Amino acid sequence: MLKSVIQLLVILLVCLAASTALAKDFGDGISLKKTTLVSELIDNGDAYVGQRVRVRGMIADVCESRGCWIYVAGDRPFEKIRVKVKDGEIVFPLEARGNEAVIEGTLEKFDLSREEVIERNRHLAEERGEEFDPTTVSGGEIFYQIRGLGAQIEGL
Amino acid sequence: MNWRRLNHALHRDIGFLCVGLTLIYALSGIAVNHLQDWNANYSIERVSLQIDPLPSGVVSSAQIPQVLRQLGETKISNKHFQPDPDNLWLYADKRMIRVHLPSGNVQAEKPQRRPFWYRLNFLHLNHAKKAWTWVADIYAAGLFLLALTGMLLLPKRRDLKRRALMLSMTGVVIPIFFLLLYY
Repeated sequence: MLKSVIQLLVILLVCLAASTALAKDFGDGISLKKTTLVSELIDNGDAYVGQRVRVRGMIADVCESRGCWIYVAGDRPFEKIRVKVKDGEIVFPLEARGNEAVIEGTLEKFDLSREEVIERNRHLAEERGEEFDPTTVSGGEIFYQIRGLGAQIEGL
Repeated sequence: MNWRRLNHALHRDIGFLCVGLTLIYALSGIAVNHLQDWNANYSIERVSLQIDPLPSGVVSSAQIPQVLRQLGETKISNKHFQPDPDNLWLYADKRMIRVHLPSGNVQAEKPQRRPFWYRLNFLHLNHAKKAWTWVADIYAAGLFLLALTGMLLLPKRRDLKRRALMLSMTGVVIPIFFLLLYY
């Protein structure tokens, strides 16, 4: 009897260890087959606005307080794309930073005025508990963001 | 059994059933309300360090181990990202290390889940989804029944009846007042 219980426990532990090595699904998971490069979305974003896209890359940063956004590193230096999810629908764990991920969602375009950029950067600085100087913002900003619907993160 | 007894029994038993979940939702509710002031999910240990300054620009994968060794890291990983030419973000052992290249200033942060609060919020915010959604729905229905059966627990004494009515009305007026104020 005891032997069987120990065997069962060993099997459960092996399964648990194996499951952590596999990718973990979030939200709707991944359905698209074709991956679009982050650089392509940055260069030709207008062509993809409103479309469902799939990107792949390392998670560069995660929202500390709510896990409601991530940055996915791009394929070119100094580039990343923000993935925003509806609060509570998907919650990205902080431990995902540095892990490879496949993300799927709809591309959105934002055309922010200088005041809106200041407001956004102030909010981000507050989240990180950092000081923010509005004079560092010189003007408005156009950027693309993925409205995240599903994700698959490796190594969690 | 008359309806008063049945109502009383229902109110009592649903109340007992809801105790565990009410504690979870109440505690987590307070924590979530104050997420801006206190991160209930993670405690983040932040450490400031200093290394030799490095030139701005693209840092090659070959340079990463050198930086990590300067930081005293034993586990060498090549995972890194540069948000701009002056900054380098490194990822090692669940930690994130932000290096400002021209100054050599380093901010390292190590998040650790708060075991109690993380689990509480996990249930409250329904991260689990699946069958937990049903449990949460049944709990909500339980609260609804608790309120209804509570309203029917009218005391026999006239002064207490007035008091029950006043308290119930206050509970209804408070959210309406704030809706008028903020919405």
